[in-house]
Amino acid sequence: MRALQGLRGPRAPALPLLLLCFLAAVRRSLEDGLSTAAPFTSLPVQEEITTKYSNLSLESHNISVTEHSSMPVEKNITLERPSNVELTCQFTTSGDLNSVNVTWKKGDKLLEDNYLVNAMGSILYTQYRVAVIDSKQMGSYSCFFGEKKQHRGTFNLKVPEINGKNKPLITYVGDSVVLMCKCQDCLPLNWTWYGANGSVQVPLGVPVNDKYVISGKHANETRLKITQLSEDDQGTYWCHAIFELGESGGHVELVVLSYLVPLKAFCAIVAEVVLLVTVILLFEMYTQKKKKPSDDGKEFEQGEQMKLDDSNGIENSGPRHRKNESVGQ
Amino acid sequence: MAYRAEPPDGGWGWMVVLSAFFQSALVFGVLRSFGVFFVEFVAAFEEPAARVSWIASIGIAVQQFGSPVGSALSTKFGPRPVVMTGGILAALGMLLASFATSLTHLYLSIGLLSGSGWALTFTPTLACLSRYFSRRRSLATGLALTGVGLSSFAFAPLFQWLLNHYAWRGALLLVSALSLHLVACGALLRPLSLAEDPVVGGPGAQITSLLRHGPFLRYTVALTLINTGYFIPYVHLVAHLRELGWDPLPAAFLLSVAAISDLVGRVASGWLGDAVPGPVARLLMLWTTLTGVILALYPVAEAPTGLVALTVAYGFTSGALTPVAFSVLPELVGTGKIYCGLGLVQMVESIGGLLGAPLSGYLRDVTGNYTASFVVAGTFLLAGSGVLITLPHFFCFSAPTSRPQDHVTEALDTKVPLPEEGLGED
Repeated sequence: MRALQGLRGPRAPALPLLLLCFLAAVRRSLEDGLSTAAPFTSLPVQEEITTKYSNLSLESHNISVTEHSSMPVEKNITLERPSNVELTCQFTTSGDLNSVNVTWKKGDKLLEDNYLVNAMGSILYTQYRVAVIDSKQMGSYSCFFGEKKQHRGTFNLKVPEINGKNKPLITYVGDSVVLMCKCQDCLPLNWTWYGANGSVQVPLGVPVNDKYVISGKHANETRLKITQLSEDDQGTYWCHAIFELGESGGHVELVVLSYLVPLKAFCAIVAEVVLLVTVILLFEMYTQKKKKPSDDGKEFEQGEQMKLDDSNGIENSGPRHRKNESVGQ
Repeated sequence: MAYRAEPPDGGWGWMVVLSAFFQSALVFGVLRSFGVFFVEFVAAFEEPAARVSWIASIGIAVQQFGSPVGSALSTKFGPRPVVMTGGILAALGMLLASFATSLTHLYLSIGLLSGSGWALTFTPTLACLSRYFSRRRSLATGLALTGVGLSSFAFAPLFQWLLNHYAWRGALLLVSALSLHLVACGALLRPLSLAEDPVVGGPGAQITSLLRHGPFLRYTVALTLINTGYFIPYVHLVAHLRELGWDPLPAAFLLSVAAISDLVGRVASGWLGDAVPGPVARLLMLWTTLTGVILALYPVAEAPTGLVALTVAYGFTSGALTPVAFSVLPELVGTGKIYCGLGLVQMVESIGGLLGAPLSGYLRDVTGNYTASFVVAGTFLLAGSGVLITLPHFFCFSAPTSRPQDHVTEALDTKVPLPEEGLGED
C-alpha cells in the first residue's frame, strides 16, 4: 500500500515515466511479499483445502472493521452454486495489535480451525476459508476482535433472492392471469409454486391440469398461468426456486373481483350524468317559458343588457330557418 | 326568429366557457394521460410498446381528421345535438374497450369510435365559444383551454389509482363513465343565432367559399407550419434532458413546471389578446416568433439554470399562442362560417402535428442528438409566423374589430359568382 501511494501524485506525467513508476512499485511489492489483496499466500493449511475442492470457483470478500465503529459491519454475499469462499476481516486500531484476540463464529457456534491471523503494519488481518458445497455451509459468519469490547464483522451467505410482486394483482372472475417470479442473474435447478389454502401451502401444477400451467421463457423466471378465475382463487401464491445451496422464494398476491364492483360505480356515474343533463335542459325550458311572454317585439336589439336571453334554444328552429332563407335568396 | 347582431360577450357565454373547459379536459386530458394505460396493455396483451401506442395515434388522427365532419354537422343542426352524440360515442368506445380481448379491439373501440366521438365534440365547442364572444374572445378561449393543462395534472394520478384498484378493464369502464360527462357539457351549448347566419348558407356552400378565401388559406398554412414545430419539445424534452445527464425525476418535474407556465401563459395571453387593440394576428405572430427563438436556443443551453429558464419561457409562450390562434379565425372568416372554418383548419394543421414528431425523431437518429430537431422545430415556428404577416390588416394601427356587418357584406359578395381571388382583402 505504501508502495502504491506514489502513483497517486500529480496526474498524467509523461507515459514512460508512468510506466517506470509502475514497474518500480510492482517490483517492490513482490520483494516485500506483501500485497493488499493476499496477505496469506503460500501457507500449507490453505493449500490442503484448495486442492480438495480445486474444481470449484473461488470467491473472496473483505470487510474493514475499525475500533471506532459502533455499528456492526455486515456484507451480504449471494451464492448460487458450490464454491470456495474466502472471508477476510481487517481490523485497524491504534493500540497494540498482538494483544487483540481474534475469533470466528458461524451463527453462535465457535469455529476452531480454518482461520488465519496476520499483522501488517497497523492492520490486523484474519481470513477464514470454507468450501461451500451444500446448504449446511450457508449462514452468517462473524469475525470478532478483542475480549471485553468486541468489534465484529459479519458475512451473510445467502442464495439469490427471488422477486415476486409487491402490489396485488387485480383480476376479474372468468379472466385468466399470469403470475411471474424472477431473479436477477440466477439459474435455479427447479421452480415450484404453492397456493395458500388457509395457512396450508398446497403445491400447484401437480398433477398437470388445465387450470394451472407452469412455464417459463428463460431459466431465471417462472410463470404460473391460472385460467377460469373464481373468487376462491384469491390469496397469496408462493414461488420457490431450488438451488444446490438451498431454497429461496417470493410471493405474489392475487385479488379476484366480480364485475359488479366497477359496474356499480359506473351506473352511479351514468345516473349522475343523466341527472345533470335533465337539470340543464329543464332549467333552459324554464327560463324560456319565463321570457316568452315578454319577448315579443324585441328583435334585433344591440344586446348588451340582455344578460340572460341569448338563444332560441330548444326549438332549434334557427338552423332550419337559415336553410329556408338561403334557398329563398 | 330573433337573430342577434352582436355576440353576447358574457351571460350564458360563461357557461359555454365552463362547458369548453370540461370538454378540453375530457378530450385532451384523457388522451394525454392515456400513457398510464399503456404499461398495462403491454403486459396484458404481450405486445410491444410501439404497437400499443398506435391506439392513441389513431384516436388523435380520427379526432383531427374528423373535425370538418363535426363542424359541418354543427352548422346544420347546431352544436348541441352534435356534441351530445359525440359524447355518447366517446363513452361507448371506452365501454367496448373494457371488454377487449386483443389489441385490434382497442384500435377500433378507443381509436376509431372514441376518436370520432371526440371529433364531434371539441371543434364545435370552440367554434360555439367564438360565436358567443367578440370583445373577450381571447380571454374566454384562454380560460377554456386551461382545461387541457389542469386535467393532465389531475387525470394521470387518477388513472393510476383506478388501475391499482380496478385493473385496466374496470378502469376503462370508469373512464367511459367519466367521458359521458361530455354529454352534459354538450347540453350546456345553447344554440345562438347571429345576424350573418342566414347569409352564409349551409355547410357545403361555406366550405367552398372558405377554400377560395385567400387569407383563410394563408392562415391555414401558417398554423400547419406552427403545428409541425409545436409538439416537438413535449415529445422530446425529457429525452433531451436525460441525454444531458439529468435524472428522470427532476426531468419529469421540469415538465410539470412547463405545464404550469403553459397554463399561466394561456390565461395571460387571453387577457392580453382582448386588451390590446388591433388584429389578434399580431399577438399570435409575437408569441410564435418568441417560441421559435426559444426552441432554437435550446441546443445552446447546457447549464441547468439556462435549461430551466428556457423551459419555463417555452411553456409560457407556447401556451400563450393557443388561445390567440383560435381567436384569429373569427376575425378572418366571420362568426357565421366559424364552424366549418375551424374544422378545416384543425384537419389541415393536424398534418403538421403528425409529421412533426416523427421528423424530429428521424433527425435525432441521423444526427445523434436533439440539436437539429429543436432548431428545425424553431424554424417551422418562425416560418409560420412569417406567413402570418401576410394576413390582412396586419399593419393597421386602428382597431378593426370583427363587425358582423362587414362579414354580412362579405358573405353576400361570395354569392356572386365572379372569378375573384382573395375575397375580403380590404
